[in-house]
Order: sequence, then structure tokens, then C-alpha cells
Amino acid sequence: MSHGAADPTMHPEVQLSTSKGYFLGFAISAFLMLVATFLVTSHSVPPFGLLMVISVCAGIAVIAQIYFLLHIDISEHNIWNTVALVLFIPLFLITIGLTWWMFSQLYLRTMDMSVMSSAMQPAVHASATPGMAAMPGMNAHTDSGN
Amino acid sequence: MSSHASTVDPKKAELWDTHHHTHDVISTRTLGYFLYLLSDGMLFATLFAAYGVLSYQHSYFGGPTPAEFVKPWYTFAQTIALFLSVLAYGFGMNALKHKNKSGLINGMLAAFVLGVVFLVLDIHDMNHLYSMGITLASSGGMSAFIVLTQVHATHIFFGLIWILVMIAQVMTKGFTEETVGRLLTLRMFWHLQAVIWVFVYIFVYLWGYIS
Repeated sequence: MSHGAADPTMHPEVQLSTSKGYFLGFAISAFLMLVATFLVTSHSVPPFGLLMVISVCAGIAVIAQIYFLLHIDISEHNIWNTVALVLFIPLFLITIGLTWWMFSQLYLRTMDMSVMSSAMQPAVHASATPGMAAMPGMNAHTDSGN
Repeated sequence: MSSHASTVDPKKAELWDTHHHTHDVISTRTLGYFLYLLSDGMLFATLFAAYGVLSYQHSYFGGPTPAEFVKPWYTFAQTIALFLSVLAYGFGMNALKHKNKSGLINGMLAAFVLGVVFLVLDIHDMNHLYSMGITLASSGGMSAFIVLTQVHATHIFFGLIWILVMIAQVMTKGFTEETVGRLLTLRMFWHLQAVIWVFVYIFVYLWGYIS
């Protein structure tokens, strides 16, 4: 593999660029974002189903971009990028998933959600957040708290 | 004697095959940079995790939630600006494949302008939040929202500087091993921003809007 020394533009990582591939990556991901935005603004799907649908849109868009833009495939030249990405994905998901799971369990066991949402007492923290008093819905709390 | 002659002379033996292989500098650098970008992905993982645990109803402390200020079509315009910027850079790299210097520079300039559009829309959006009295200090949920979106915007900012630097280097140095290698790493960086933006747009903006 003694490429590149004479003419770096002949390097395989340069040569694997294709306008068609970049355009496909753009078109697929832009179309999926359009679908997701349309569904979200039209309120035609119930929230949980909507979350599932836009998650699928995100998943397909990311796969299309990783394949067409980042050239992640099983070709000889890119195999180590692919291996690194495949090993990265579990770390990414575990970091987010375990953190979210731990805190959701913590909230479940330590907080009374009905109290938290309806009868919060922001007065204790009012000095730390001067902007809060100006927000809609915050006036009653600050008055009663002080 | 004949078998003796074929044994290896330790003083003359070549232990390593040093011939016929030159060090592929560009591939080594791009793989190293890709590993760096994956660690950058872990930075975003921690920020997404923080947003995940700070996007409960109580996280907003009775103040505004993303459902109250996110404008999906506005952020969709940002999305298209960024995707088009990524597309323009891709077309520029396709011109590099054909040693077309002006095509490359035009692609990079288009990518720069569209990246600026993305960033201006983002700054305008943040000013809008600020005018509504929403700041980092408003609530834990807003801290997580602003930090996550603005860390992504910071990536775009430094990417724009990098694009300008590479335009200057291509114009002055031409297509050397160094400049071509840097164009490839910038391509990875810029295209990865689009991938991360998909997560930010869907799971922070749109999910925040519907929840």
C-alpha cells in the first residue's frame, strides 16, 4: 500500500468520495427529518407512538449518514474505522442508558412526583434564580413563599 | 553442509520486513482522528445522559420547558442549513478527487456560508430564550438543554474556523500530503456534526416539544 507519496489526491480515502453518495446521505436524512418535524407539528399521532416513529427516523437517518458520509463499511480500507465504531456504540448506549435508569429509579424512590409538579416551593431558591419571578406562572409562588 | 548453509546467520538476518511497504501517513492520521472523534462522541453521551435525567417535569422547577419555546420548523431550517453545509463539503471533496482546486474551494466556501447560517439561527434562538428570561440558571432542565445544544454549536464554530484555515492552506500549499490529510479529517469532523445533530434535533428539540 505505497499510495499517497507521489500524489495524495490518489489516496483511497480521497477516491472513495462520490457526489451521488453524499447526495443520497443528504436526501435520506433531510427527508426523514422533514417527516419527523411534520408528524410532531401536526399532532396526529399519540405521544408515545410519535416518540417511537421519530426515534426510527433518527435511527435510519444516522445509519444513512454513517454509511454515505463517513464511509463506514466493511471494505479493506475502512474496516478499522468500522470496528472502532461498532465497539463505540455499546459504550455510548450504556453511558446514556445506565445513567438514565439510575436517576429514574432514584426519582421514583425519593420524590413524590405529584407534590413536585403541583406544589413546588421555589422561594428557597428564588435568590439563586432571579429570572424565575418574571416567568409565567411563577408569580403566585414567589408571593406566597415570601 | 548444504543444510548448514541455509540456516540463518544472526548477524545478517533481517528480522523485520522493511521493504515494499511505506508508512501510509494519511490513513494513520485519519484513523487516529476517527478514534478522537469517537471520544468526542462520549462527551456528547454524557451530555445526552445529563439531559435525560434533567428533563423530568420537576427538573424545570415550575419554569418553562422545551415544549413552551421550541419551534420545530425554525429548528428544521437549522437542520437543513447544516445538512446542506455537509453536502457542500462532500461535493468539495469530490472535486478534490478530480484535482479540481476551484471546485474544492467553492464547495468549502458554500459549506462555510451554510454553517454560518446554522450558527446565526442558533444564536438568534438563544437570544430569543434570553429575552424570555430563560438562562442557564433558570432550572436544571434548562441548564442541560442549553449546554447540550451550545456544545454542539461550539463544535460548528470551531469547524467553521477550520474550514477557513483549510481554504487558506489549499490556496497557498496546494494538494500536499499534509493538506489532503487535513481535508480528510475535516470531512470526518464536519460530517459527524450532522450525525450528532440528528440526535440533538430528534431527542432534544422534537422530543422536548412533544413532552
